[in-house]
Amino acid sequence: MIILKSVSKIYPGNSVALKGINVHIKPKEFVSIVGRSGTGKTTLVRILTAEEPPTQGTVIIGGWDITHIKRSEVPILRRQIGVVFQDFKLLEKKTFFENIAFALQACGTSWRRAREIIPQVLKIVGLSGKEHRYPVQLSGGEQQRVAIARALVHRPKILLADEPTGNLDSINTQEIVDLLLKINEFGTTVLLVSHDREVVNYVNKRVITLDNGQIISDQKHGKYLL
Amino acid sequence: MNVAALIQIFTFAWQGFWRNIWLSIVTITIIALALFSVNFLIILNVVTATAIDVIKNKVDVSLYFRPEITETQVLEAQTFLSALAQIETTTYISQQDALQAFRQRHQQDQTIIASLDELGDNPLGATLIVKAKQIEDYPEIISVVTNSKYNDLILDKNFADNQVYIEKIKNVSDNVNKIGFAAAGIFILIAGLIVFNTIRVAIYTHREEIGIMKLVGATNWFIRSPFIVESFFYAILGTVLAVAVVFPALNVVQPYIDAFFLAEGFSLRDYFMSHFLAIFGIELLITILLNVSSSSIAIRRYLRV
Repeated sequence: MIILKSVSKIYPGNSVALKGINVHIKPKEFVSIVGRSGTGKTTLVRILTAEEPPTQGTVIIGGWDITHIKRSEVPILRRQIGVVFQDFKLLEKKTFFENIAFALQACGTSWRRAREIIPQVLKIVGLSGKEHRYPVQLSGGEQQRVAIARALVHRPKILLADEPTGNLDSINTQEIVDLLLKINEFGTTVLLVSHDREVVNYVNKRVITLDNGQIISDQKHGKYLL
Repeated sequence: MNVAALIQIFTFAWQGFWRNIWLSIVTITIIALALFSVNFLIILNVVTATAIDVIKNKVDVSLYFRPEITETQVLEAQTFLSALAQIETTTYISQQDALQAFRQRHQQDQTIIASLDELGDNPLGATLIVKAKQIEDYPEIISVVTNSKYNDLILDKNFADNQVYIEKIKNVSDNVNKIGFAAAGIFILIAGLIVFNTIRVAIYTHREEIGIMKLVGATNWFIRSPFIVESFFYAILGTVLAVAVVFPALNVVQPYIDAFFLAEGFSLRDYFMSHFLAIFGIELLITILLNVSSSSIAIRRYLRV
């Protein structure tokens, strides 16, 4: 599903963010990528979403070599990868329903089709009946669920969650992690980027540990090492 | 591109237009002002071109023969001139007709009439009025006459005065055009910059939406289109406003045009109506082109991620 071969990222000023990364993530896998701040986790996410290219190496997603992806092909890639962020990135002036519909409409889906799809994803994330609330009216956990629902509307094969629990309390954190596990059970490959020890240990799946831009550990049922 | 996407693009464009309504109004006003200055330039051009045409049609050369020259000699000169390719018409005015016309012109001036009566003989010679096909031909015609054997028969020629008037009109119209072009250029430049700035503000207002659109896989074309459509709105509304201002302005100017052209009866309104599509259609196209290019440059930076 995801193959990284000798991937390095060096920013101007010879700042090394990633160095010689070799990873093979199979379909339907749940992988936690952990490490301290500044170890290259976010750079890895940005390379996977084609926000920036690697300096060296090859990146293959679903058999597609995106190392030198054309600008016009980036939207096609992003429709296959759902992304969730720590700060939710919801539009405050839109209801939950509208936030999700906006993502569909931005890709040319009709309003009628959006009305069919959205209740289904809201059901998956456990927010049925709250679609007409605004982000400020609900908790952080619920806002993150909407962000996850928005990431799922295109039925992506991969869900990239970059510190999704960073802004949440422990109860909401567990709910979000459970939701990610549920989505993984449905067959979506999940990449969880986190520096939260409890979250990673709770998931108890494959853990890739980064330090100084390099993989220092890759365990099938790993624990947070650092 | 499906219908849903098109509807979405227009909805986003309309939202952008309304959310910054004051900025939109300023942008439209500046575009209308720029177009108004362009139309002002067109009015000046049309009026001066028509004035020059009218004057050109009135221009002729009068060859005043000496009083002692006989009718036969004058008619011989007329035959000679009529044979020239540049000549449109020649009109012979006899000594008697010239005197009669002179008396009629000065019938209020008793001193002149009394002087004529005292002279007894007709002091005026016959006149040949020569009209050229092109105004540019007059110097050549004058040159042919001057170098011909008939030159000694002629007392005076009156072409120089007309030439001075035409040159003056041309100079005034050239200067007005230069100032008009500069003013229109400045307005167009300002309008371009204002549209650029308006679209940048619109993009800034929508930066969150743009970020999310990119995140969920919207194409650059889809993200860019609402802003391009918004700049279309500005171009169309700016042109409509310009039309709405230009026509009342034509009505204000028309009495002065009538006073200037008198019997020729030139209507600016009719001119603008008969050239409506050519004038405003081209202006709209150019405004759209300017707006689209200016907004495309404005949004480029935001589409790099």
